[in-house]
Amino acid sequence: MAVIEVKDLVRDFTTGDGLFNRNKRTINAVKGISFHVEKGEIFGLLGQNGAGKTTTIKMLITMLAPTSGTCRVLGYDVFGQEKQIRHRINFIFGGEYGIYRRLSARDNLKYFANLYKIDKNIRDKRVDELLELVELSDRADTRVETFSKGMAQRVQIARGLINNPEVLFLDEPTIGLDPLGAENLREVIRKLQAGGTTILLTTHNMYEADELCGRIAIIKQGELLTLGTPQEIKSRLTPRRVVEVARDEITLEDAYIQLVKGSDGQ
Amino acid sequence: MKSASVIWTSMTLQMKQTFARNMFKFTLFVGPLLTTIVLGEMFRFSGADSFVAYVVLGSGIWSLWNSIAFSSAGDINRERFTNTLSIIFSTPADFRKILLGKIFGNTILSMGSFFLSVFFAIILYRPTIYVANWGLLFVALILTIAAFIIMSIFIAYLLTLSRKTTIWMNCLEVPFALLCGFVFPIENLPQVVQYFSWAFPPTWAVRLLRYPVTETGYTFTEALIPLLITMAVFALLAGFLYKAIFKQAKVLGTLDMA
Repeated sequence: MAVIEVKDLVRDFTTGDGLFNRNKRTINAVKGISFHVEKGEIFGLLGQNGAGKTTTIKMLITMLAPTSGTCRVLGYDVFGQEKQIRHRINFIFGGEYGIYRRLSARDNLKYFANLYKIDKNIRDKRVDELLELVELSDRADTRVETFSKGMAQRVQIARGLINNPEVLFLDEPTIGLDPLGAENLREVIRKLQAGGTTILLTTHNMYEADELCGRIAIIKQGELLTLGTPQEIKSRLTPRRVVEVARDEITLEDAYIQLVKGSDGQ
Repeated sequence: MKSASVIWTSMTLQMKQTFARNMFKFTLFVGPLLTTIVLGEMFRFSGADSFVAYVVLGSGIWSLWNSIAFSSAGDINRERFTNTLSIIFSTPADFRKILLGKIFGNTILSMGSFFLSVFFAIILYRPTIYVANWGLLFVALILTIAAFIIMSIFIAYLLTLSRKTTIWMNCLEVPFALLCGFVFPIENLPQVVQYFSWAFPPTWAVRLLRYPVTETGYTFTEALIPLLITMAVFALLAGFLYKAIFKQAKVLGTLDMA
């Protein structure tokens, strides 16, 4: 059974402007995409800014309601069966937001451990382990507002692992991390996969996607362009583009650029 | 037990981070002083009873309202901008308990504003204060806090639906203080407006609080019964609204700014 099932998923946003928000406008952020993710798989969701990646993740983590279509995690609907899902998943968003900046890293993690209802006798040990993992043990009791962007991002990573999730959603998790920090995170992701964690990853780093993901879906303006293993996607590069690239080894980035540009008719 | 832990940790962390904000320190310490001076000068020649009722207690209640309403609404706004609102909403913890913990934390801090206002009023204007029944005053104070907590919960639920929290905060502050008679009797308002005043628990809480000090106007029981009824109505309304509002927040996507 697939851990994540997405079928004909649609999400629209209605915004209003003008006096009393009378000029209504509907934005179709996700337009009927379908994919599934198997247990223990690292699945990549790639696309330009505004392609609908984050919106898809927000629906999968029970933060947003789908407009229509099927969206199930661990066999449960993300809208209406949130209780069965939330304690078994977690998520990490890129950037320095999503944590309490006026609290210390340790206080942040302890608080989220409480929200995930982790027993007090294992909570403190887990917090220490995670601080060690993200290399923040020596700054654990310092307010996050004094941290660099990369350090704040590492607190986010630790927060996302606080409940030892079965399914982890990573939305551009290496944003703000230096190359060493990014490599450490990739190492953590590999270890989690080896332990059976299912991971859905969005990233703009094609090397990262190629290295980590078993399968990749590329979306554009809310629509699915292609889905397959990195190798399959690379093999779809047209002969013309292969000549243009003029390199022995075709990268995922080459294939991605062709796919995204190609769908514009370029 | 874990539910109590969610409320407790939300409360303590709320107090910790709220107190770290300079704006809150201003609201807590300077706001009450300014409110007391404005009301003190307005009521300086209005008689001892009015002075105690509308300056000593009025400034305290207004400061309490400012601190609770502004910090609760402000927190939702702040957490929405920092994306923590949507994150805590998506955890397994009951979001009602998280909000309740935060409101408790704000209430405890806001009590500082109340007592500081009373202190400033006494120090600056040295009014003659007569309390007929300290026991009733204590009960009235506890019920007043409970009434404000229920209103805060209600407002916090509603504000999750709108991203324009700051506008709502400013729209609520002064009109609510006037509507509920914090600084002058609601009988001074047009009759039609008074019907709205009667619907809100703080109107009756204020009357209840004033009785042990002034022993005029509504008696303790005459204020207590409507207070309990309106509190129960707002508590029930908040309970009914919760599911609908949070379902709607997920549909509208108003929990974060992205």
